[in-house]
Amino acid sequence: MIERELTFRIMRYNPDEPEKKPHLQEFHLTEEPGMSLFVVLNKLREEQDPTLRFDFVCRASICGSCGMLVNGRPTLACKTLTKDLPDVTTLLPLPVFKLLGDLSVDTGVWFRDMSFRTESWVHTDETFDPDAPEKRMDNAVALEIYEAERCIECGCCIGGCATANIKPDFIGAAGVNRVARFMVDPRDKRTEREYFEVVGNEDGVFGCIGLMACDDNCPVGVPLRDQLAYVRRKMASAGWRYQKV
Amino acid sequence: MKLQKALSYSPRADFIVEVIQMVSGLLLVLFLWTHMLFVASILIGSNAFNGLSLFMEKNYLLPAAIVFLVLVGGAHIGAVIRRIPSRWAEQKIVWKHAKLIHHADTWSWLFQSVTGAAILALAIIHIAVVTYGGIDVIYSSGRIKHGFLVFYAVLLLLAEYHASVGLYRIFVKWGWVKRHKLHWVLGVISVLTVGIGATVLWIFFTMGVHA
Ligand code: FES
Repeated sequence: MIERELTFRIMRYNPDEPEKKPHLQEFHLTEEPGMSLFVVLNKLREEQDPTLRFDFVCRASICGSCGMLVNGRPTLACKTLTKDLPDVTTLLPLPVFKLLGDLSVDTGVWFRDMSFRTESWVHTDETFDPDAPEKRMDNAVALEIYEAERCIECGCCIGGCATANIKPDFIGAAGVNRVARFMVDPRDKRTEREYFEVVGNEDGVFGCIGLMACDDNCPVGVPLRDQLAYVRRKMASAGWRYQKV
Repeated sequence: MKLQKALSYSPRADFIVEVIQMVSGLLLVLFLWTHMLFVASILIGSNAFNGLSLFMEKNYLLPAAIVFLVLVGGAHIGAVIRRIPSRWAEQKIVWKHAKLIHHADTWSWLFQSVTGAAILALAIIHIAVVTYGGIDVIYSSGRIKHGFLVFYAVLLLLAEYHASVGLYRIFVKWGWVKRHKLHWVLGVISVLTVGIGATVLWIFFTMGVHA
């Protein structure tokens, strides 16, 4: 195998030095077998520029901290292999989220805010009895919940969403998926009407204009399009019968 | 909640506008296709075309169509306008975003708003010309011969593009059909509609030449 010489154009920006405009810096390195962007970035930091900032924790598509734009596409850097990349690759941080520097963004604040606004907890008036045996859940329902819970909150669906890019309050596919998770959960006693007041509006599911970049880019393959449609249909029926319920 | 929000609280407003956007869009697509079928009567012959046009005139179908377009088209514009980034900064963001992420459906949305605006302008001209000029084989072919060929070709393409992308979006959002199947079906319909339209235009154009 002939070793390729790879070029990476990486965005450099330090919010503490606002006088320096964001710019792309070029790095070169030799490709190795099985190389992922995790390896690339760490190598660059170790061997070429110790100030380079980026985030990795699990390097196995689990923690969701390494979302970035790889040649424009929002994806996880740790699961991107250099063998799938062209000779020149541009790396940018995810938009929408607060930029901490270079490729590092803070997805936490955004997701926390979204969790609050979608009231992401089981709403119930049953008092919890720690001694009682756990209530059984139907397997199919449990799997449906699990499907939504597979979201690792990397923010790729948000960064790739045109609406989220211009509307700061839009909860995006991650938010709608979260709501869907509680909608199928039988322990959550919220009525359709209560859900409607949270997501039956422009900041919620009706703000989606159907570009489906979220669905196309989700690195862990959560069926976002189905989740969006599911919540949309539920909310439409709630909106339709709003006066009566 | 803030006071201004509490005072103007209408939880269903966004939902209702979304429904208006969809229903008016569907009606306009239906109108477009009916319109294409009607003009296609020229394929049967001049008499069919003139007969249909006479029939429509006698039964006030032309003014009815204009009232329909003003109402439904107006509702559609009123509803979709909220989707179009109105501030310069936002416009810059969405175009940059589309260029950055290389995503076909994001581009098609931008084209959708551009074609929508263009259709509005062209359709107003088209309606004005047809209302004042009349619909008849001689008039129509004369118009197309003398300068309107390109105008109609452009309007046809824009309208069909806008309609099929709009339909695609509706089905995708509500999750009624698989995306790839949808691409295929809408592609076939678009090709058919544009094919019919182009043939009609060509027939009128050659008639105008011979007249
Ligand atoms: S480092 Fe955890 S998902 Fe990439």
